[in-house]
Amino acid sequence: MTGFATRLGFALALMFAAITGAPAQTMTRFPAITTQVDTLSIHAATDLYALEPLIRDFQQLSPGTMVEIVEYVTNDLFSTAGGACDDGGALGDVFLSSSVDQLVKLANDGCAQRIEGADLARAPRWANWRDEVFGFTFEPIVMVYNRDGMSEAEVPRTHLELAELLRRDADRYRGRVGTYDVRLSGIGYLLAFNDARQTTTTYGRLLESLGRAQVVVRCCTSQILDEVAAGRLLIGYNLLGSYAYERVRRGQPIGIVMPADYTLVLSRGAMVPIRAPNPGLATRFVNYLLSERGQSVGRSQSFFFGLDGSAPAGIEGPDVVTSGIARPIVVGPTLLAVQDAARRKRFLEDWSQSVIQTAP
Amino acid sequence: MDRREPSLFIRLFALMSLVLAFGAAVLMTAAWYSARQAADQAYDRLLLGAAYQIADAIQIQDGQPEIELPVSAFELLALSDRDRIFYRVLDPAGHTMTGYERLDDPAAETATPVRAIVENAEFDGENVRVARVVRRFDDPQMRGDAIVIVAQTIEARRALARELTLRSFILVGAMGAIAIGGTIFAVRRALAPIGRLETAIRQRDPLDLTLVDVSTPRELAPFVAEINGFIKRLRGRVELMQQFIADAAHQLRTPLAALEAQTDLLSNDDVSPSTVKHLDRVRARTRQLSRLTNQLLSHAMVAHRERAVANSQVDLTELTRRALDEAIPDTLERDILVTLHAPPEPLIVSGDPVNLAEAVKNILDNAVRHGAPARITVRLLKKSNRAVIEVEDDGPGIPPEQWPRVVQRFGAPSSDGKGSGLGLSIAAEVLEAHGGALFFIEKGSFGFVVVMSLADEERKVA
Repeated sequence: MTGFATRLGFALALMFAAITGAPAQTMTRFPAITTQVDTLSIHAATDLYALEPLIRDFQQLSPGTMVEIVEYVTNDLFSTAGGACDDGGALGDVFLSSSVDQLVKLANDGCAQRIEGADLARAPRWANWRDEVFGFTFEPIVMVYNRDGMSEAEVPRTHLELAELLRRDADRYRGRVGTYDVRLSGIGYLLAFNDARQTTTTYGRLLESLGRAQVVVRCCTSQILDEVAAGRLLIGYNLLGSYAYERVRRGQPIGIVMPADYTLVLSRGAMVPIRAPNPGLATRFVNYLLSERGQSVGRSQSFFFGLDGSAPAGIEGPDVVTSGIARPIVVGPTLLAVQDAARRKRFLEDWSQSVIQTAP
Repeated sequence: MDRREPSLFIRLFALMSLVLAFGAAVLMTAAWYSARQAADQAYDRLLLGAAYQIADAIQIQDGQPEIELPVSAFELLALSDRDRIFYRVLDPAGHTMTGYERLDDPAAETATPVRAIVENAEFDGENVRVARVVRRFDDPQMRGDAIVIVAQTIEARRALARELTLRSFILVGAMGAIAIGGTIFAVRRALAPIGRLETAIRQRDPLDLTLVDVSTPRELAPFVAEINGFIKRLRGRVELMQQFIADAAHQLRTPLAALEAQTDLLSNDDVSPSTVKHLDRVRARTRQLSRLTNQLLSHAMVAHRERAVANSQVDLTELTRRALDEAIPDTLERDILVTLHAPPEPLIVSGDPVNLAEAVKNILDNAVRHGAPARITVRLLKKSNRAVIEVEDDGPGIPPEQWPRVVQRFGAPSSDGKGSGLGLSIAAEVLEAHGGALFFIEKGSFGFVVVMSLADEERKVA
């Protein structure tokens, strides 16, 4: 099964991703409202549209601050930040990433600095590690479907139903289901890893079904959502609920399902790197993200779910918190196992084998 | 003597506090040390458990060692949820399979292979606790020891040790407070006999020369014995002095009597009128001197008998009657009406008849000498359980402001030169020795009254 050839092929794919992924960064500047006195450099693996309202609001509080945002895919942010930490260089003032396991790994390697502030206590216990990595959002991991392409009755409500649906109606869904490419996306890997831990049998069947259905893999939630909205894909699996809900608000024909067996909940992480040029400003920004004001801006314009789990209107499925199906991914040292190089390698091998190379 | 010695209580308290503080310091150090040990032990087990779990996850597949790091191992380590975790897994060939390459093998230099080690180390500039376990493979394709090294920072250990230490500190503090309280109580109790002794000595009459009789602990016995020894010596001195006075008075009496007789023999007729005046003065002074000598002798006797003579039953009526006979001389220059009112039945008190008689005689003598121009009335009464002798005269009496003084020795030397100033004090002393009192009733519609009350404690002379 795990022959030498496949491993080599995988390694090449990884190298390719690394080479092509690295330049995929863009920088956006938000000039200071008044005379510029300082610069906050945010290195983020978060969509700009979600960050922008928060940045603008933060600038109301700190009008002399120019904010620059450098956008990454999660894995690129991780490798760049890790490299800068090892080399003793400075890379920005704040890291924002949905791939909290990578932030935890960076913090464990001594690349984060401990920050303080009254608002930091608002982070739930499971979303704070060492006062270094803070989760500041509550993001259920959902399935989405194209409302025009599928009737509500057909829509799977659990992970198992999804696996069954793909198996039962393989021809219809072949090439029309999308999910993260876990090799490129740190968040995709983190979610798949947690799926595997939740239910070993269901995960195996789901993986098999996805492989048979020739699942379409993409680097990012937004790309899958674009294709679901356009009708090229019928189902998107394991996507960030906040991004999907933003599409719903924009009127795209997308339905959102919180899986009823269990719903993973991710808290987007914020971290101040050890050699941040403006640690004071960075600390203020992280405090802002967790503050009443920052949270309310986030809930209304960026992430839509409250840190307490309150969901916006129009989400199908039970309330994740009260029904007890929420599985928050705890921001803590357990995530180091996720980040173990050997383990990751094996996981990706198995995933690639099941999902990519299973011919119809 | 200017520098005052601190009190025994302060000394004991300070010393005990010092000992307790030292003990507390030792205990707290021990508590801190053992708390660290306990915290290390608790977390070492987790660390070793995690290392064993990781070691257990090593498998040989197709002749190659494979490791799928178990999440449970990290969950175990995450019990100390603020600590950083470092690990390294080495295959039997010594190649790092996964983890932190920089994490050194703590047993690399140890010659004898050990299965499990936990020790302190430093990694990445932080203090860490390192566990190292070995898993032996005897696979046909792969032989040797796989090594798992797991290190964790020590924040949780320190926090637990701090908490344990704090608890011990609270306990030690509470014990210290109890011990201090107990010390205060015990020291106060132990020093109580000193206070009792002090009270007993302070409340003594300055004239009291009896021995101190207070029960004291053995440690104070020499102190009391020394005081008593001193009292005995003092008493010897006083007795010697009294004896001397008695002897002197006695020795003076005979020449004085002769002198008196000689002056009496001198006839006023033979000398000039101016010499007569001088002669009278010589006679008066001689009588006064003779009387003083007698009273000194009387006082010495009274003082001697107070100590030496046991009490007996005394009939006050009989005693007073005889005292009247002795005290009122037949050869008085003026006529005085002396009346004695006595109850029909005898008035019995317990006391020394000689001293009591001396007291009564002195009162009567005083009345004759200073008071009564014409009348002295002596009344013997029994009031409830007190026996009372009242001596009333029609003389000028003593103004109340002098009352306290006249009962003291030489407190009121009479201005007319007739009194010695000892009479009333002798009477008062005798009565006091008998548990009685001497007081006065101011001259009103009756005459001035001197009251001798026996066994009456309520109306003593101020």
